[in-house]
Amino acid sequence: MTKHSTTSDQYPLSGVRVLDLADERAIYGAKLLADLGATVVRIESSTGDPLRDRGPFDNAGESLWFNYYASNRHIIILDPTDEKAKTELKHMLRGTDVVIDTGSLESRGMSLEDLESLNPHITYVDVASFSKTGPWRNYLAPDLVAGALGGAAATTGDTDTTPLKLFGDQSFLVSGVYAAIAGLAGLFQSSRTGLAEQIDISVHETIVSTLEHVLMIAWYPEFVSYANGNVLPRRGSLHWSNAYQVVTATNGSLMVTPTPDVQKQIAWLAEEDLHEDLLDEKYNDLSLRQVFIKRLMDIMSKWVRDKDAETFFHEAQARHHPFGLVMKPNELAENIHLESRSWWEDYKVANGVIKGPGSPYRFSRSSWKPPLETTVPHQDSEAIMRDIGWTK
Amino acid sequence: MTGPLDGIKVLDFTHVLAGPFSTRIMGDLGADVVKIMSEARHGPDGGTGSPYHVMWNRNKRILQLDMTQTEGKELARELCNQADIVIDNFSVGVLDRWGIGYDTIKKENPAVIYIQMSGMGDEGPWSSYVSFAPTVHALSGLTYLTGVPGREDIGIGFSYNDHQSGLHGTVAILAALNERLKSQKGQRIELSQFEVGVTLNAVALLDYFANGNTVSPSGNQLPFDSAQPHNCYPTAGEDSWVAIALQTDEQWNMLVKLMDSPEWALKSGLESVDGRIAQLEAIDSEISEWTKHQNGKELMEMLQEHGIPAGYVQNGNDLVNNDPELQASGFFFDYQETHPLLGKIRGDRLPLRFKRQNVSSYNRPEIFGESNHKVLKDWLGLSQSEVERLEHIGTVK
Repeated sequence: MTKHSTTSDQYPLSGVRVLDLADERAIYGAKLLADLGATVVRIESSTGDPLRDRGPFDNAGESLWFNYYASNRHIIILDPTDEKAKTELKHMLRGTDVVIDTGSLESRGMSLEDLESLNPHITYVDVASFSKTGPWRNYLAPDLVAGALGGAAATTGDTDTTPLKLFGDQSFLVSGVYAAIAGLAGLFQSSRTGLAEQIDISVHETIVSTLEHVLMIAWYPEFVSYANGNVLPRRGSLHWSNAYQVVTATNGSLMVTPTPDVQKQIAWLAEEDLHEDLLDEKYNDLSLRQVFIKRLMDIMSKWVRDKDAETFFHEAQARHHPFGLVMKPNELAENIHLESRSWWEDYKVANGVIKGPGSPYRFSRSSWKPPLETTVPHQDSEAIMRDIGWTK
Repeated sequence: MTGPLDGIKVLDFTHVLAGPFSTRIMGDLGADVVKIMSEARHGPDGGTGSPYHVMWNRNKRILQLDMTQTEGKELARELCNQADIVIDNFSVGVLDRWGIGYDTIKKENPAVIYIQMSGMGDEGPWSSYVSFAPTVHALSGLTYLTGVPGREDIGIGFSYNDHQSGLHGTVAILAALNERLKSQKGQRIELSQFEVGVTLNAVALLDYFANGNTVSPSGNQLPFDSAQPHNCYPTAGEDSWVAIALQTDEQWNMLVKLMDSPEWALKSGLESVDGRIAQLEAIDSEISEWTKHQNGKELMEMLQEHGIPAGYVQNGNDLVNNDPELQASGFFFDYQETHPLLGKIRGDRLPLRFKRQNVSSYNRPEIFGESNHKVLKDWLGLSQSEVERLEHIGTVK
């Protein structure tokens, strides 16, 4: 598998031009396309990009958030109120394959027909918090609110906590990946038909589409007998199936599960003479399935309590049991598996480079684009467009 | 079927959620997805009559093959030779043992895009480690980081990383498909679900590498940005909450006004976000007193009308039965055809709204072997009598 290419034409999206007009709701989509080798221009106003105010920051005050999500971009300053800028934007649009936007072109009064008149092959992806004509179209929805309305918060947390947001901007990482899919699907379609397309995305709908069991239980409550009506209230780490849970061990926590082979798990407990009544024939009665699973999980929780978390994680995995060690960021940063895969990348910042996440996928013949560009904006947009060959 | 992927053939060797979610999206986009299944070994998602399976396997045709038979493996190899995309999220090595690993397939089908969505990736000391989504959540930091201070045993309440792996896998496939238009060549893609999960925590890792900080779980507070109030607050009714997420001091001033300017909110210092963060617990307690007897939905509407970001905490029942936004956008739909085992079933649309292309065709999830004849005719040109012979010897079921 190829990690980095030595020639720019070996990126999967070499030669593809993307205009990134996105805020936090879709910037991750533009990043995915940029890291796949597309030439991506990001527009910043003369007053600065508000996303540069997102923490964390490095010791020079540079936003690490922005540095990561705006990687591999050519950042150009264009003031939206400037007449010359409007002309330059139209010039860019003529050479653009994919636009990733969060409403900025629409706010400038541009429709798909306007875009099409400039560029008959363009793919325009527009991400909004909600549908454009729905009752919540004007609602403000930062990540916490998006996750609350989208159903993620109700399902996350414990019986003794409030509903919880997911760490970071996960709501917008979901809409962001969907934006990348939309851009790539539109690009593929345009390559075959030569036609322009607009794809609208509601962050709200993207979150609802990624809730695993939540819609299933709402529609098939009889399938999960222990649900409260058609809702399974939040329950800490206990999986909806009752068969996965994080438990406290010595020197850390472990996610334990008897799946996928319950008999194999019982055999392991039996090796240590800890299987108690799990081999009792009464559990052959399928109506006692959930009683049996609860009994097994209780025994496993007691069993793990005195084990060293990391040592036992590796022992379980050596037996092909899918246990998981609960890892913290500092432990991940030193993780031998990621290190051995040369996974981390160097990100350029004003003071040098810092390590950061690499790519979640590798291609046998193409490669991922390392984050070589700084996020310093360019004043001379015409020169940059000329340098990157963005003319049409 | 219509859509951007019209004419693209996807051969689906996936189970549970991550892989099926990716192929569901490709099917929704118009690809001809053929899912290889076996009733005898259907895996943990419970078979074609299981609601879990039904959720993630629409717009696919199911071919039931006995992969323990030589003829079953040979049919699978012939199907691979016809495929534009082969997708696999079984354990590493399963398809190789069936004789349809990438190195074999590419000899006869060099244009194939072949993705292996494994837990930990091809190489590395943990590459043989087995995982489901809760495993990956634990290992990737998602469990640790989503929780409240002092606890590391909460995490995300659904298999989020499976969805994200399916989404990221789809991105990689579509990138390779676009690349193939130019090169006319296929390639193999290796996706590590663990690395997807770690990527989702990027900012926590950058903070560690740049500053040596290990961020801790912080409930609904933002660990890196200044915002307060920023939490879920109780409202009238059982387990009823409203999320309020202020972003500016102006929003705070408006909130104070809407609360009828109580004395506690007018204290010096609270006009700035830093001052409010210093009084976080006291403010949250006061706001909870204000919200707890109010109707959550009405409170959300009132706050939003005044420019304050607020959202009722919706559960699954709220989403499918009471969400006016989803009702207006027609997000949920009834499948036209009833399911042979479950009867009338509902679905959620692909959340990509194409303005020109008609991408709104949803075929109900199939049951075991439902498309045996059609798939083998369409993909391999087998006659009815040939398929009947294969059914007779149990290769096709």
